[in-house]
Amino acid sequence: MSAVLSVEAYSLDYRLRQGTARVLDGVNITIGRGEVVGLVGESGSGKSSLAWAIMRHLPRNAVEAGGALRLGGLDLRGLDAAGVQAVRGRRIGMVFQDPSTALNPTLRLGEQVMEVLIRHRGLTRPEARDAAEAALTEVELRDPAALMRRYPHEASGGEKQRVVIATAFATQPELILFDEPTTALDVITGARILELFARLREHTGVAALYISHDLGLVSRVADRVSVLRRGRIVEEGTPAQVFRAPAHDYTRGLVAAVPRPERRLVADAPGSATVLAADALSVRYGRRRLFRPPPPPATEAVTLAVREGEILGVVGESGSGKSSLARGLTGLASFGGAVQAAGRRLDRPGAMDRAYRRAVQIVFQHPDSSLNPRMRIGEILSRPLRLHGGATTEIPALLEQVRLPPDYARKYPHQLSGGEKQRVAIARAFAARPSIVICDEITASLDVSVQAQVIELLLALRRQHGTAYLFITHDLNLIRQIAHRIAVMQRGRLVDLREAAAIDAPDAHPYTRALIAASPTPVG
Amino acid sequence: MTDLLRRLLRTPQGAIGSALLLLLLLLCIAGPALAPRDPEAIDFLGRFRPPGAENWLGADQLGRDVLSRLMTGARATIPLALLATLLGTLAGAVIGTLSAYLGGRWDEAIMRNIDAVMAIPGLLLALLLVSSLGKGSLNATLAIAVAFTPGMARVTRSVALNVRAQDYVKAALARGEGSLFIVLREMLPNVVGPVVVETTIRVAFAVMLFATMSFLGLGAQPPAPEWGLMVAEARRFVHQAPWIILAPALAIAVTAIAFNLLGDGLRDALNPRDER
Amino acid sequence: MSAGWLIRRLLLVVYTVLVVSVLVFAITQVLPADAAVTLLGENATPEALAAVRDRLGLNDPVWLQYWRWLTHAVAGDFGLSMRTGQPVAPMMLVALSRSLLLALLSILLMLAIAVPLGLWAALRQGRAADLLTGLVSYIGVSVPEFVTATVLLMLLADWLQWLPATGYVPPSEDLWDSLAHLALPVITVSVIMVAHVSRMVRSETIDVLHSDYIRAARLKGLPERAVLLHHTLRNALLPVITIVALDVGYLLGGIIVVEEIFAIPGIGRQLIVAITARDLPAIQAGALIMAMTYAIVSTLADIAYALLDRRIRYD
Repeated sequence: MSAVLSVEAYSLDYRLRQGTARVLDGVNITIGRGEVVGLVGESGSGKSSLAWAIMRHLPRNAVEAGGALRLGGLDLRGLDAAGVQAVRGRRIGMVFQDPSTALNPTLRLGEQVMEVLIRHRGLTRPEARDAAEAALTEVELRDPAALMRRYPHEASGGEKQRVVIATAFATQPELILFDEPTTALDVITGARILELFARLREHTGVAALYISHDLGLVSRVADRVSVLRRGRIVEEGTPAQVFRAPAHDYTRGLVAAVPRPERRLVADAPGSATVLAADALSVRYGRRRLFRPPPPPATEAVTLAVREGEILGVVGESGSGKSSLARGLTGLASFGGAVQAAGRRLDRPGAMDRAYRRAVQIVFQHPDSSLNPRMRIGEILSRPLRLHGGATTEIPALLEQVRLPPDYARKYPHQLSGGEKQRVAIARAFAARPSIVICDEITASLDVSVQAQVIELLLALRRQHGTAYLFITHDLNLIRQIAHRIAVMQRGRLVDLREAAAIDAPDAHPYTRALIAASPTPVG
Repeated sequence: MTDLLRRLLRTPQGAIGSALLLLLLLLCIAGPALAPRDPEAIDFLGRFRPPGAENWLGADQLGRDVLSRLMTGARATIPLALLATLLGTLAGAVIGTLSAYLGGRWDEAIMRNIDAVMAIPGLLLALLLVSSLGKGSLNATLAIAVAFTPGMARVTRSVALNVRAQDYVKAALARGEGSLFIVLREMLPNVVGPVVVETTIRVAFAVMLFATMSFLGLGAQPPAPEWGLMVAEARRFVHQAPWIILAPALAIAVTAIAFNLLGDGLRDALNPRDER
Repeated sequence: MSAGWLIRRLLLVVYTVLVVSVLVFAITQVLPADAAVTLLGENATPEALAAVRDRLGLNDPVWLQYWRWLTHAVAGDFGLSMRTGQPVAPMMLVALSRSLLLALLSILLMLAIAVPLGLWAALRQGRAADLLTGLVSYIGVSVPEFVTATVLLMLLADWLQWLPATGYVPPSEDLWDSLAHLALPVITVSVIMVAHVSRMVRSETIDVLHSDYIRAARLKGLPERAVLLHHTLRNALLPVITIVALDVGYLLGGIIVVEEIFAIPGIGRQLIVAITARDLPAIQAGALIMAMTYAIVSTLADIAYALLDRRIRYD
């Protein structure tokens, strides 16, 4: 089998102020005709750098330290500027992570497909228009002619990603690089994009390098998988091999960290008393103004109750109102309806007293913005202690609880990694000895392996303190591992609420079933 | 604080700006004492004497030593520009923070009015105020302070709103902290940085504005060795003695540059995410 | 851009002018000078002064005076100048037309220099050319107009004698002479704006060049020229509209100084004369007209931006 792309013992350095850092170290990857190779790695593994190297788009401080990059018989490293331009977009196409930033906001969508056709296939504008329309039909867009006249902000995320894919395929390249093409999309939209990719692959027989942080996802789309860690390929093989019998410790950890619904992490049953309940809770932002329509509600009349020690999962796509629910429950947004806690009914944020504030804690999605950059960790943790009757002498114990060394109390947030910051945020929540912690997408910005550690930590804390969680996430597989019950939200409404075990029952809401179908379990 | 200073001096802008400002500070404190001659001493024999051994930067139309006037004049320009900026910042910060804190309709009403006031160009507003308060350095200072207030209110408000939207403020709200704590401990330290940067850069602008008002005859009054006034007085003698104009003009520019540099340096130094 | 947005934007102009009128009236009301004394001179008899005060309505409550002034102003009547005895409105409008010519030429010159300069610096980011432009613009924003004007006068008018020093020639009289007389003022006013706007153009362009969509365009194999002309330019220059609109406020301030120095009978000079002579109606009219000009220009810029940038949906 002749290789479409071969990366041979390729090494890459970045020149930094402190010296040079090796980002890729002796990488070997071969992609045969019609083959899809998955490249899996966490942030900082160098997976994007490899893509830039293949596209010959390296930052100025990059130094290629050896090895070869070959496209068919062509030596990519030896190309001059004109040679590079003849390869990009014509022989190698690329699909980017976030279609909303990869498309020029001030050019019509059609123009952005046509320019590639004019450039690489030498078509005239009318010819290019027809070819672009055909290319957009190929990616199953309805009414492509109308779409071509629209600007990016007038199209949905899924439509935009299809336009990007159409552009990549339009010149019939030998190889396409996919750089996390579904990460920025909602679950169901992402699943459709993957289906589209499978069909296009069948039609065109294109070879592809599929880069992702998600081992589970890659295992479904790739023929072979390479695992990249700190610039080195630590393991390669078929998805089944890598998944069932990982040889390297790192891969084993990665495989174990992939959420699988059938592997339950919580076995006990919750108590019967209610710790927190939403009673027809509605959250609405903004207000009526002159000449403007009133804003739609973010969360509409949601009713649910969390029991003692229960993990209640809330899933939904972005904009489904799940975070607004959290804001209502913590009094960060004014709400209609009521919140019930400890047998009391609260109908406005002002009614939330100190006892309520202590009992109900929240952890946010972005650890970067949830810790005050001008405070040391010790100071951050001392506030809830002081407020809710603890002593600052507990800080070392708090840090230990979240498995951070006690001397971290003297550090500033910017000196910590993302996972460490999230642990501090968790410690801050637990400092108040809450009866329930609302977790708002707290693992969404973390790597899979870090996510697994954070989840494990949360479960350990729950065993210790009997805390209930309202766990908000977009990851259905993750929540099926830990939740007792799962609530499903769509467009501000609660459409389904059932036992986690019964989430795939036939009587589930159609939207719930669509979500499950879009979150398939990994191979193996 | 020492940490901040260290980081400030590590940026090239910060280092140069600080050095220049240190020099200017020295002039403000000890300028008259260090000046080689009496800045007011009139010497008719030495009128328009070119720069040389006797008068290093030459002498003006009354034979006064330009260098000595320049050194003494630092006192007449920089402290007042600083004062004007500080007053304007203070007033602006109070209005801006209040507006951000009150939010909603109040915020909108305050900001609409601020925007409306900003339709009057800064110099025009300052001139109008001086025309009714009367000429003079202190009135010019006050006028500049008022002219700066709406702009600073805008800046402070946008920074405060930005900080208010951060999750750490939400976390503080959610755990039931009092408003005073949230404003003083969570928000203020994060608002101060950008406002200080903006203020520093505005001092440069105030120096220029103050000199401009003196130049137009509405700020400092003769025979004060104020730099803008020196340029104005020397204008008629541009043919005989260009140095009388160039020296104070250069002094104004250098001062403005120094504050601009310091502001840029502070912006870099105040960003805690820069280094790991 | 919807009709509702447009209506609100225009109402805002009206509101702005109202606020400015209150402010201008309030500031000029606390003027220590007695309008009657200004009119009749120090030696007037008390009876004559009282008669004039009565005629001018100076004994009425302040709000009534304001109301009378505003209603007249809306009708285009700002009263008679205390200095010349002529109606101030026509005088100020003629002056405004000269100032607008000066402002327009300054903006054109500024754009012609600042935009290419900013683009050039952005494309050579971090190299000598960029650092040099940065340094020059640093100095540019730190030199007040009266210094620039004085130095330019010294250099180009006195020393090299290339351009006439001061004065104003209407373009209808002799176009070339008019432009020659406007050259120095226009250059002076442009300097600070060139420094400021070129820095902005540079940073906007660098932001765009680092954006994902420019990278995507390059990775589509488009030639660099197409990437720059087709993809970069429009996105980098759109925000410049807003920046220039904000600078118009600064420009109007600069014009006051420059007109005074170069003896151009524009609205800035009229204002300075009015302020020095404590000519109340002239001050009020001049300040209000100037603020109105700024409010209208910035609204026009907003509308232009909304029309050009399809991303922003005003509803």
